[in-house]
Amino acid sequence: MDTKKLVADMKARFEHNSAKHYLKEKYSSKLLVADQGGLWKADLNTISFLNSTTNKTTVMLDLYDIPVSVNVKKLKEKLVDAYDTVMSEWHKEYKELEAKR
Amino acid sequence: MSRGAILFAFNSPKVDYYAMAEYTAKRINHFLNLPVTIVTDQSSIPKYSTYEFDKVVISDPDKDNYFRGDVWINKGRFQAYEYSPYDETLLLDVDYMVNSDRLLKVFDLMKDYVCHENIAQLMIPKGEQEKLSQHSFPALWATVLGFRKTEKSEQLFACMKMIQKNYRHYANLYSFNPDIYRNDFALTIAHRIINGHYYDNTNILPWNLMHVWLKTNLYVERKSKFNTKYTVIYDNQKNNKVRKEYITIKDMDFHVINKDVFLGLM
Repeated sequence: MDTKKLVADMKARFEHNSAKHYLKEKYSSKLLVADQGGLWKADLNTISFLNSTTNKTTVMLDLYDIPVSVNVKKLKEKLVDAYDTVMSEWHKEYKELEAKR
Repeated sequence: MSRGAILFAFNSPKVDYYAMAEYTAKRINHFLNLPVTIVTDQSSIPKYSTYEFDKVVISDPDKDNYFRGDVWINKGRFQAYEYSPYDETLLLDVDYMVNSDRLLKVFDLMKDYVCHENIAQLMIPKGEQEKLSQHSFPALWATVLGFRKTEKSEQLFACMKMIQKNYRHYANLYSFNPDIYRNDFALTIAHRIINGHYYDNTNILPWNLMHVWLKTNLYVERKSKFNTKYTVIYDNQKNNKVRKEYITIKDMDFHVINKDVFLGLM
């Protein structure tokens, strides 16, 4: 099916807010990382905390509010890696959708 | 430790659920690399089919359920625990479109069972969450239900069986429509009961179940076997006018509410 023609024939407008919402739903779940017996979100808050603590191990509440003792360095590496990968993909697809406006 | 998916598919006079199950099973094999068991009845199985399920379980369904004038054979979902040949199982609705390997994360998360509580709707960023009834608590969704064969999971399914049997009583208790049986509601109540009516979020998937709601259509660019790119067109009704809106999506799983839309994608 030629969807570009379909969209033109229907005179459909690209809905930027819905596209942003779809991207957030899609990529937020990809930021979730299961590690060291807990479930984590590779977001700025968590990574900042891991950067700021000087301890080798620390106890953090995971997404299910369960306290988990973690190796700071190992968790930070995993979360930063997930963050970089997912956010790059998010940014790339956002730019592609932005071009459709 | 064996892993697999299980689908329930009983054809109604209007909808070929078995064909939908075959389509979904192929996508589960491709994106999740999991075997698929189907629970169906003899009359739903087509004479000629090229697809082979890992296991076929023949069941005698309870057909006493109607939705919008059509028979809706969705009872008996509690049998998933008994029928699944796997240690860890993904129980999916056949109208769930698998477009990625995201569901593999379910196996990392579940201790006993996990399911969705929150939903999102494509093209409707501020869509509402569903409740059992107007003044009740949020409903869980049985669309994606991961479970391990543990004592707690067994309790959940046994409880769903009890609720299905006594659906009118629970509908009266929680003030919802008793005439349409919904697995979502049975799951919601069972989850509450086996957790002592205490809210436990460790059984909730930490991302939203994406719905393709009514008034939303999906189109594929070209019908490849495992297409993951779609154009989504939505009829946005405002001030008695309909405005067509669209976006394009790729590599994202979603649940299609309108069966005709799903069949159009196959």
